Amino acid sequence: MAFVSFPFIILVALTAIVYFLVPKRFQWSVLLVASYVYFWINSEWLVVWLLLTTLITFFTGRCIDIISKKGKAYIADHAEELTAKDRKAYKAKTKKKTKFVMLTGVFLVLGILVCMKYFNFFAGNANLLLTKIGFKLPTFKFLLPLGISFYTLQALAYMIDIYRGKYEADKHIGKFMLFMSYFPQIVQGPIARYNQLANQFYKEHSFDYNRVMQGIQLIVWGWMKKTIIADRIAIPTSEIFDNYTQYSGVMIFLSAAFYGLQVYADFSGGMDIARGVSQIFGIELELNFKQPYFSTSVEDFWRRWHITLGGWMRDYIFYPLSLSKNFGKLSKQSRKIFGDFVGKRLPAFLAMFIVYFLVGFWHGPNWTYIVYGIWNGVFIVMGILLEEVYVKCRQKCGISDVSFTWRMFQIFRTFSIISLGRLFSNAKTLGASLGMFKLMTVKWYDLSALVDGTLTKLGLDTANWIVLAIFVVILLVVDNLHEKGVNIRESIASQNIIFRWIIYYGAILAILIFGMYGPGYDSAGFIYEQF
Amino acid sequence: MEKILNILQEIRSDIDFQNEKKLIDDGLLDSFDIIQIVSTFNDEFDIEIDVDELMPENFNSVEAMKQLIERLQEEA
Repeated sequence: MAFVSFPFIILVALTAIVYFLVPKRFQWSVLLVASYVYFWINSEWLVVWLLLTTLITFFTGRCIDIISKKGKAYIADHAEELTAKDRKAYKAKTKKKTKFVMLTGVFLVLGILVCMKYFNFFAGNANLLLTKIGFKLPTFKFLLPLGISFYTLQALAYMIDIYRGKYEADKHIGKFMLFMSYFPQIVQGPIARYNQLANQFYKEHSFDYNRVMQGIQLIVWGWMKKTIIADRIAIPTSEIFDNYTQYSGVMIFLSAAFYGLQVYADFSGGMDIARGVSQIFGIELELNFKQPYFSTSVEDFWRRWHITLGGWMRDYIFYPLSLSKNFGKLSKQSRKIFGDFVGKRLPAFLAMFIVYFLVGFWHGPNWTYIVYGIWNGVFIVMGILLEEVYVKCRQKCGISDVSFTWRMFQIFRTFSIISLGRLFSNAKTLGASLGMFKLMTVKWYDLSALVDGTLTKLGLDTANWIVLAIFVVILLVVDNLHEKGVNIRESIASQNIIFRWIIYYGAILAILIFGMYGPGYDSAGFIYEQF
Repeated sequence: MEKILNILQEIRSDIDFQNEKKLIDDGLLDSFDIIQIVSTFNDEFDIEIDVDELMPENFNSVEAMKQLIERLQEEA
């Protein structure tokens, strides 16, 4: 069942009706049933993988909790007999036990993801070497369960957080199953944290007309972004990426920019639908985007793009690595060799490279994604290292850092770097992306494609380009208003009934008339579903 | 307190640390800043700030950082 399809609307509508009719204490069970129905329709028997990860995570959390509580109780019961040193030693012993349990859980849950998603990548790369000495590892065709990359990260965060003592483990297996499978966000996130999401499931939610209408507005807006912009711009983008040798450098750059817009409209559209559906149930999901194309640096971009993945990487990879003892030693040694400036920053830079390598690899088992991740890491580190140089250059040229033109330049520069990185993430092979880069350098000055009608031969006629341009402008205006802190949905809700319904009907008509649909009025799948 | 302020000013001279109370919540300090602050605190105050302590409430203000340092010094 596609996320943007009429059966999905029916599922949401039926779930909402039952959700508000049953006694409030059973609302979470309605969501759990709907989530497993949705998962089953999409992945059928692969549901056992979700159940396995859920059970491992749940019992790991419980074990850690029980061991920690026993440890604390022992110290409290023997407060008078134990010296401060004894207490510290006992705490360390308990921590060691919980760490072992946590690491076992992490190993098992991560193992499922790595085996299913990455085994063939590792085997394929190893075979490049092994075939030379007469060996060959087998490869398997695994079918991936829906949202495995997303729910695995949630599970890992949960186990680590329990180990860190951030919150207590869930005692109710049914409610925990809902946290792991909640249907609006299992497809492509946002990657939720237990303490942010689970508590909302356990509260009782009344029907609130304004909240439900605001949720529906968000669903409609997400649907517009997906069907009118993303699925439309996908046509010329695919044409150029699939046949890049036939196009000049400027067209390849345009295809990268088109793909940037496509993936934004697609992914953020999906997030709007997930958040809108959740709002109907009275559940607030985390924001995953904050106007990313208004970013003034690559670092800024990654604070606004796929925020929940960035936050996950920060809390569970970047911080632990940067503050690890080995990285500390590296810092001390490198300070002696390179001086204070580089030495202090080196562990963080190294951790940052590892993070972006993992961000790329998380997207898929392909070198194109790995290079895409590293590309972003390189520009972030360069941005930090060269910041002082930039400031001096700007001061020498008399450019104010608050001027409109400077900000526009920064936005264009960031957009270009990010878009060029997408030549890696969207190309079929690393060779193809390098080929595109080569064409951009040797055939860059051939601008004739912009005016000789090439654009209308990419699968979209003039009318479709105009529709696309209009809706991209609307998207930019909406993002600009959000950037200025305007709450558009509240503004619409406060208008008189006639104006309000003109907007609602206009938006629905726009989706029906201008949306791109396949057979059965289904939209194309979401890009992030495949990750 | 003065020592903490000096360290913070050296890392981010553009922030008014004395008056800002939501350094993390408002996104004034990023993860790079946090790593630099933590490693400098560890060196200067002879403490070990564990990754478990990297919570917004410990770094939102100078006062919160001071409390964290004092607590870790007591526990050491």
